[in-house]
Amino acid sequence: MKLPDSAQVLALIGPSGGGKSTFLRLIGGIETPTSGTVIVDDQELPKEEEGLLDYRKSNGFLFQAFNLFPHLSALDNIILPLTEVHGWSRHKAEERAHEVVKRFYLEKHLEKHPEQLSGGQQQRVALARAVAHEPALLLLDEPTSALDPEMKAGVLDLIKELCDAGQRIVLSTHEMGFARQSADHVVFLAEGKILEEGKAEELFEASREPKVTQFLDRVMKW
Amino acid sequence: MKSFINALVSVILAVTFFFGFWVILDHDYDWAAIAPYSGNLFSGWLVTVGISLAALALSVVVAAVLTVAQLSSHRVPRVLSRAYVEIVRGTPLLTQILIGYYLIADAIGWDSRFGVGLVILSCFSGAYLSEIFRGGIESISKSQWLSARAIGLSEGQTYRFVVIPQAIRRVLPASAGQFANLIKDSSLLFVISVHEFTMQAREANANSFATFEAYLPLVMGYFILTFPISLLSRHLEKRFSYEH
Repeated sequence: MKLPDSAQVLALIGPSGGGKSTFLRLIGGIETPTSGTVIVDDQELPKEEEGLLDYRKSNGFLFQAFNLFPHLSALDNIILPLTEVHGWSRHKAEERAHEVVKRFYLEKHLEKHPEQLSGGQQQRVALARAVAHEPALLLLDEPTSALDPEMKAGVLDLIKELCDAGQRIVLSTHEMGFARQSADHVVFLAEGKILEEGKAEELFEASREPKVTQFLDRVMKW
Repeated sequence: MKSFINALVSVILAVTFFFGFWVILDHDYDWAAIAPYSGNLFSGWLVTVGISLAALALSVVVAAVLTVAQLSSHRVPRVLSRAYVEIVRGTPLLTQILIGYYLIADAIGWDSRFGVGLVILSCFSGAYLSEIFRGGIESISKSQWLSARAIGLSEGQTYRFVVIPQAIRRVLPASAGQFANLIKDSSLLFVISVHEFTMQAREANANSFATFEAYLPLVMGYFILTFPISLLSRHLEKRFSYEH
């Protein structure tokens, strides 16, 4: 798959089990392909753990749920990767952590532990953690699927802010409206294959694949 | 049906308690006979406390080694540690003490009863403790591992910052329970004549024939050690289940 050079935000849509998560994890270096190679930014991803570990450090990843470590406060969850993975000094890490916390409207929740936070707040903390070290690529695996509508909006707002600020993002989502508004390029995945890809308006308005139009009709019905 | 069983259980418990109290209260006490041995009994109790604390520390080390071996990606440590744990948990402590002292320690020429007893007790308790540790570590859900992976933590870092801190909280109640077991198990060391509490009570009884007066303090002496631990274990359980 080749993206146009100007593409900054890539959205992956399609039915559950279609391969969106796997695709994201392959790009993120969290899983290795059983055959073939993964090439990101003209660089082939290493197959052994050591090389992959280095690659993973340069990205940010957000899962659907259970991102945070329950035994640490929200602030410590954000600081941990900065000091232990990226080798920042404690002082610098704290400074940066407070910055992102402010940006994500989480000041009141700094010292709380994850189980004291709502789902939406947890995802925002996880998002803060993912972007704190200014990742080259931010990968989001259905980040709002486990949230109720109000919390969804809060998290999507923040993701949109990141898009507008220039963050390169690959987002897998069922939020068609959001995908349409924020993505430069959209890919439709089903049964492990790319059925269609293109600019957002093209895919949503004038898709050439019957399976895609069928899916979109069903999803956008209510 | 349920109320019938409740009633039956209540009757059985009541009868048992009354019988117990009758036996204890109806006895002709001869505390004077045991008085000369009170010093020995107390020093025996102190030895039990000492050997239990030392065995606690040593058994944690043994358990840590066994747990690391069982979680290893290499087959040899995994199989060896599994075999060790199965054998130690599958045989009576008494047999392990006898074999450990009369066969193994004898073969290597180590004759310190206290030392050998301490090592055997630690190796025994360590096996049980390692099962507790291993269970605690394996109970940390895979999503924690995935999350750690995604942010770039290595396997070692994941154990250090994510898994072990959480596992420690989970295993504390059961580990406290195992410590209480350790204290009680130490009583078997009398068979190799370690001068601990039970041995002293048996000797006092043999010399004075004041059985009750020797064994009643023996039971109470162990209970005042294990009961606080039981309370601590319950307290830890409550405290950590609230957090997670």
